[in-house]
This record gives sequence, structure tokens and C-alpha cells, in this order.
Amino acid sequence: MMQLWPQLLLSLAEKVLADIIAMDQEAKPRLKRLAGKQFAFQLQELKLRVVLTATDSTILLNQHQEPVDCAIQTDLASLKRLRDPNQLTQLIKQDAVQVEGDLQVAQQFSGFFQQLQPDWSGKLASYLGDGMAHKVEVSLKQMTRVIASKAQQLDQLSTELLQDELQLTPHPLEVEQFSVDVSRLQAKVDRLQQQLTALQE
Amino acid sequence: MSDSKAKTTDFGFKTVAEDEKVSLVADVFHSVAAKYDVMNDLMSFGIHRLWKRFTIDCSAVRPGQSVLDLAGGTGDLTALFSKRVGPTGKVVLADINASMLNVGRDKLRDQGLVDNIDYVQANAEALPFADNSFDIITIGFGLRNVTNKSAALASMFRVLKPGGRLLVLEFSKPESELLSKAYDLYSFKLLPKMGQLIANDPDSYQYLAESIRMHPDQETLKQMMEQVGFAEVSYHNLTGGIVALHRGYKF
Repeated sequence: MMQLWPQLLLSLAEKVLADIIAMDQEAKPRLKRLAGKQFAFQLQELKLRVVLTATDSTILLNQHQEPVDCAIQTDLASLKRLRDPNQLTQLIKQDAVQVEGDLQVAQQFSGFFQQLQPDWSGKLASYLGDGMAHKVEVSLKQMTRVIASKAQQLDQLSTELLQDELQLTPHPLEVEQFSVDVSRLQAKVDRLQQQLTALQE
Repeated sequence: MSDSKAKTTDFGFKTVAEDEKVSLVADVFHSVAAKYDVMNDLMSFGIHRLWKRFTIDCSAVRPGQSVLDLAGGTGDLTALFSKRVGPTGKVVLADINASMLNVGRDKLRDQGLVDNIDYVQANAEALPFADNSFDIITIGFGLRNVTNKSAALASMFRVLKPGGRLLVLEFSKPESELLSKAYDLYSFKLLPKMGQLIANDPDSYQYLAESIRMHPDQETLKQMMEQVGFAEVSYHNLTGGIVALHRGYKF
């Protein structure tokens, strides 16, 4: 029984994904460009390798190990950094991300998901009515703003705590100053060495 | 091998003449076609959907491929394949039984799947397709109703493209003794009652339970596939071996 859980999970996820894509009216034309492409994604922590197949109207999910247009394998830690396209080459160099196949396909898929803007409130309005749906939407937005700012505050607080109060890590400026000092010292030593060899001769 | 033995085959626990089995099986499926999907969901508690998805996963189907869904019945596998092969691919839903094919066609059309599906009424033992025409062939819960299984497997091997694969999803032998006992109890006591209640047809479901017991077990079917030429044959037991998925390649 246990071996069928990926199928259960993915069939549910496929339904949810189809609903979300259907909620975004601008998704379909963008999906047309992706149609017929397959992209595989695997997290090292999970054994599951999810294969996404784009069609004209939705994205289908499967699970297998066979060749696709583009396959990416990564771990949870690198996943967050993967969001920033500038870090990709660096991550590949560090072997934190393994890419097989056409990288452009991966970028197209990721671009599609980033641009996906499902019209939640429109869907919600059909259940709750326009007024109530608007209220829910506004309060949700407010809540995400509050959470984001709190997270930022916490981030800053912990940085200050580590750098100034507990002095566990140096400030980036200090590190920079230190390395400048080291290279200056190096230069001085080199000069001294040359003078010394000149004197010895 | 006496003559009389060569001309008979199993029909559930009964032994019938070989030419009779086709029409007997046909009667069973004409009779259950209308309620087939409801009964499948009830009898397997919906798990048959996961078995079928597992089959699709094992097929590693790609857009643009051509797929033959043999004994496709009401088209569950065809529906999954049709979306995945896309407009450049093709799925052929083949079944020997016209009633099942009609139910399948209506269902798929209702789901809006029309572009890339062909319907063919065909006998698995003599497939009406050219050699090397399909990337993937599946036969889901159909092989046990075929009179001459080896002939059917050989015919599938013929129409499969080199590099293509055959997937046989079929009831099989439960791995554990305990599960086997519970399964027997369920399928011989409860199943015909359910068939009576919902489809008003206990005999067909009695046949279903019997034909499952008569079907070759995992290793035997694997050998049969190897005998007709399939390479790298392997199988997965699903739900404790109640169902097994065999996979073989043609190289």
C-alpha cells in the first residue's frame, strides 16, 4: 500500500494545480508556449522525482526516473537560493544543483509559476459574495504584509544580536577591513623579503 | 496433449471449449458495461485509480508518442494517456467488446478528449495494426480474459516499436498468506453480493473472482512475456500483490 502514496499525492496535487491554473485567465496563452515540454524536479531529501508535463490547458504531474527535456536535482538548502537567477551558475559550480538537459525549459517552467496569479477573490466571490470576498482579500494582504515585516525585524534583530551583543560573527565591513589589512601586511612582507635577498647577495 | 485438452480453456473455474470463451466473456462485459466504473470504484475502494496512475508513471509517456490501450474498456488509462501525449501524439483505445467501447467513447467525449483518440474493436490475439507502430502498449485488467494469452502477448510484441514497452496491469497473487485469506473471503463472499446489489448481476462478478484465481501468477506471467521475446521483464506488486504491473521492452 505504501508504494502508492506518490500516486495519491500527485493526483491530488494535479487537481489542485489545474484549478489554480484555471483561476488565472492569462495563464493559458503562456502555457501554449510550454505545451509538450517535460521538466523533472527532485529534492535530494525526498526520493520522489516529480515530472511536470505541460499541456495546452494545465500541467500534469507524474513520477518516474526516465529522461525528460530538463531535469534538476537539488537539496532543500539550495532551493531557496535557486529563486535568484543570478545564483544559478554559482550553485551549479558548487554541485549544489545538478542540471541535465535544456536549462531553458527549466527557466520557462519557473517563469510560468512565478507569473501565475490566480484570481482567488473572484473564485471566493462566487461563494461569499463580492463584499465579503474583498474583505477577506484585504485582510489576507494585510496579514502577509505584517508577517513579512515581522520576519524582516526578526532577521535584523538576530543579526544585531550576533554581531554586536554576543559578538559571535563580524560585520561584513570588519571582514573587509581585515582582509585589506592582511593583503597590506602581505605586501609589506614581500617587500621586506626582496630587500633581504638583495642584501644577502 | 490430447485433442480434447487442446481445444478447451478456462472460464473462471469452469472448463469450456476454446471458441466458446470469447462469447462467454463478451456476455459478461456486455452485461457489466453500464455499471463498470461504479463497480470498479466500489470493489477496489477507489484504489484502482492509483494502480492506473502507477501504470502511467511506469510508462514514462512523452508528448508525441503513440500509445495502444488494449482492453481499454471504459478508457481510464486512455484518458490519462491522451492528456499526456498531447495533440502531436495518438492513443488507440482497443477493446474486443463493443459495449465497453461505447461506454468508453461516451465517457471520454464527455471529458472533452476527442482530438487524439482512435477507437478500434479488436481481438488482442490478432491485432489489426502494422508491425512496429506503438511506443507504449498497455493492457489493464484484460489479459486474464484473453483465450490464448501467449498469442496475445506475441501479437503485442509484433506491433510494438523497437525500444517500446508493454505494461500489463492485472490481478495477481497476494504476497502474504493472511492477505490471501482475507482477499478470498472478500472476493467470493462479498463481491457477488455487491454485484447483485448494484449491477443486479452476481454471475459476472463470480466470474471476475474466479478468473482472477485462474490467471497466471507473477513469475509465470513474467516467463510468458520472456518467451514471446520481451526483454528486461520486471514486475511490481501493488497493494500486497493483489495487483501486479509487469513491464517488458522490445529491443
